[in-house]
Amino acid sequence: MPLLPVARSVPEIEGQLGRLWAKAEAARARTEAALAAAGEPSDAGGNHVAARTSVLNLVVLAGDEPTAERCAETIAATAHRHPSRSLILSAVDPDGPAGFEARIEGFSLAAAGGRGTAGAETIRIAARGETGMHLASIIVPLLVHDLPVALWWPMDPAFGSHRAERLLPIADRLIVDGSAWSGSGLDILAQMARAAEERRLVVADWALLRQARWREAVASVYDLPDLRPHLGAVRRIEVEYATDRPGDPAGDTNVVRPLYHVAWLASRLGMTVVSPLRREDDGRRVATLRQAGHDVEVILRPAVSDLGPGSTVGVEIASRLRGAELIGRVSAGDRSVEVSILDNGRERVRRSYLGPRLTDVDLLGRAVEEGAPDPVAVQALAAAYRLLGVDWGSHKGTDRHRRDYD
Amino acid sequence: MSPGRAPAPPPAETARQLREATAARRRTQPDSDVNPLRAGLRLERVPDPCAFVLFGATGDLAHRKVVPAIYQLWRTNLLPPEFSLVAVARRPYTNESFAAEVRASVEKYSRVQPIDETAWAELAKRIVYHQVDFGDDAGFDRLGEKLDELDTKRGTAGNRLFYLATHPSQVTEIVRQMGRVGLDHELRGGGWRRLVVEKPFGRDFESARHLNHEVNKVFRESQVYRIDHYLGKETVRNLLVFRFGNGIFEPVWNRSYVDHVQITVAESIGVEARGAFYEETGASRDILQNHLLQLMTLVAMEPPSSFGADALRDQKLGVLRAVAAPTPDDVRRNVVRGQYGPGWVEGEPALGYRGEPDVDPESETETYVAGKFEIDDWRWSGVPFYLRAGKRLPKRATEIAIQFKDVPLRLFRESAGDPAPNVLAMRIQPDEGIMLRFAAKVPGLGLDVRTVNMDFAYGTSFVVDSPDAYETLILDALLGDASLFMRADEVEAAWSVVTPIINAWAEMPAPHFPSYAAGSWGPEAADELPERDGRRWRRI
Repeated sequence: MPLLPVARSVPEIEGQLGRLWAKAEAARARTEAALAAAGEPSDAGGNHVAARTSVLNLVVLAGDEPTAERCAETIAATAHRHPSRSLILSAVDPDGPAGFEARIEGFSLAAAGGRGTAGAETIRIAARGETGMHLASIIVPLLVHDLPVALWWPMDPAFGSHRAERLLPIADRLIVDGSAWSGSGLDILAQMARAAEERRLVVADWALLRQARWREAVASVYDLPDLRPHLGAVRRIEVEYATDRPGDPAGDTNVVRPLYHVAWLASRLGMTVVSPLRREDDGRRVATLRQAGHDVEVILRPAVSDLGPGSTVGVEIASRLRGAELIGRVSAGDRSVEVSILDNGRERVRRSYLGPRLTDVDLLGRAVEEGAPDPVAVQALAAAYRLLGVDWGSHKGTDRHRRDYD
Repeated sequence: MSPGRAPAPPPAETARQLREATAARRRTQPDSDVNPLRAGLRLERVPDPCAFVLFGATGDLAHRKVVPAIYQLWRTNLLPPEFSLVAVARRPYTNESFAAEVRASVEKYSRVQPIDETAWAELAKRIVYHQVDFGDDAGFDRLGEKLDELDTKRGTAGNRLFYLATHPSQVTEIVRQMGRVGLDHELRGGGWRRLVVEKPFGRDFESARHLNHEVNKVFRESQVYRIDHYLGKETVRNLLVFRFGNGIFEPVWNRSYVDHVQITVAESIGVEARGAFYEETGASRDILQNHLLQLMTLVAMEPPSSFGADALRDQKLGVLRAVAAPTPDDVRRNVVRGQYGPGWVEGEPALGYRGEPDVDPESETETYVAGKFEIDDWRWSGVPFYLRAGKRLPKRATEIAIQFKDVPLRLFRESAGDPAPNVLAMRIQPDEGIMLRFAAKVPGLGLDVRTVNMDFAYGTSFVVDSPDAYETLILDALLGDASLFMRADEVEAAWSVVTPIINAWAEMPAPHFPSYAAGSWGPEAADELPERDGRRWRRI
């Protein structure tokens, strides 16, 4: 559908949205009438309600125009899967006069199977001057009633900012990408922990979602029943991550993804934090966990690699049970994941699993499609916060909230 | 205290000690049946290492459905690496030549194209061909030895799923041979044995009972998985979610609110190359006994106490047992059969059934069946279920429609037309979805009421590819989940409804076939079924 004229107020936006779908319905009705006149079969009897199966409100805090453009493209590709109202916000000319401009675009999407259409709309709002500080006042009246609100913050989220204070309360779910955060990403992760606990936010972090193929592969090591008892006897978890300088001397390679590997394992295997993550002189980050009376050594090791900085190069889990040592190693390429198992130094299994990297469209789809918080992700995030030394669970969250995370 | 052993902890006495001791035990000894790392992944359990033994591996069903489904499961990493596909059939092949032949079928029939070369190469390595004549004792002995070898060489761990994709007449012989060799014997230290049998499960009540008896002489009922692929379809499974995952429908899902139910399984195709098969089967055996009655059980069943296989199947069985076996008079009055003559379907001329290849030119086989059935229980007493299925109908459509009772009083007398009663229609295929028909006021000063359809298509909310029914069911069988498979008593109960119909027809004079033109909605007599009760078939 064509772009509509620029709107400069909420009533103008609402008016344009109404006209947009009225036109779409009129066009559909004309097509139906033409088919009927030609004796062609139409949809089953009766008049149709133009059913727009909206499933959520997606609010994007894009920050700048290039990011807004990129997000709009991702949303357009996802709209087929998750019919939504999307509001993409960017702040331009912060010192200019207050005001905003909104452009509305509707998508009438052919449904799978070729029957019917699904409607979705994107409203791009560029706020100027002081209006950029009051985005919530524009967003709230434009939300579709009674649908969940997902807030996608693709850049570094400023959790303590005025903008966050206004926007986080309206969100049911926060979508971030921890692997794109600046520096090591750990400071922002710690801030997110506090915000999530205070506001009982459900967080969908692409950095964690990206690891689905890794988790499948790591889990497969212990699908063999005789190896499963080793899950209670883990002694070392080592994650090698990509950096562009030997030893990551400035410590500014993003390590959110490597940390999440450890956090996921710790949360699934009932490990507690003995000493939180710290950086060693040689660039490694280390921590100590405890599992069933023994310590588990955690190492995040930088390695020069062609992969993007912060990408996981490999995960190794070592366990010792009744004198037998087991090492499970997982590494990944673009399309597959390799698993090998060393049983007392002897290679017992080597497997390759197909598992392509997820695209932004996949990630956004996954981030919004779950109706309820994924308990595994929730617990993995809680473990990550504790690995950072955040006193997680002591804050003013409710009992139910604490239960979800524990 | 023996040297080197840690001192035993003091026995837990207080509630706190007991809780801490339990928690410590849980931490140190993960349940060996459960892999905690699988929580939240696509499968919380993965199939055990196993050999998938496919009888009839060179046949049409194996090539069109079973092997493509296995490939798809393999491609998506849902099968364990310690997996072998043991193809069993009479024709001579090597492992390699058979793998090459099924590869062509996968290229043709797989729902995901193109073929993933890496995945196929890995699966092909796991294909083993075994030539056997089903009456040949020595061949079955060798099969047993080969499976034992695979346990050692390929790590299949004694787990075997036997899939009979053969002609129904061969089932009892194959099962007898398996029993003779002991292939049904489950091992104490692990090593399950399961048998998957394809429909038809007999030709009538007696033959079904005989078949069940023969199968159960060798395999325990809990080892037997009777597959009706309809039950693996995504939207059929969704029916259960729709009924039992939504609180708003259950209160009106009964005789107090429902006027009647219609279930339609319409096909636009004819018998294609299956003339000989269809001559022996007909619509009653092919569709009514299984697909239609299964859909009816899912609509009419009481809520099960759990989603466990037996809890679900007990409730379905309850529905079938509440359908009275029709008398010959009931059949005359409430069941209609038909056969298509020449006509036009989807813009193409179509042969009549009697002109199809391998069909008797004087055939009396029905290609259409419609019936009115009643379920005599507290929930449904007095609510007719109209069921119909046919070939060469105007379109392919499977639908369940619940028509609710009319409003007790018409308030809008000035309206030009009476609002039609509410209908909730669930489309199974194609274009899976749910439609609710209700009355709405026409905008304007008057009080005109018009019926509108609110249409929900699954495709508008979910475009994730649905798995093929065979993928779902094969994976379930590998995981040991029999919920979507039919139990022996269920099969027999369904036959006890359909057999009297077939027997009554055999006693009647020859039918006047053909009785409907290809491309029409069936014989006129079928229209009279609901019309006698003041109702009519839905226009689909």
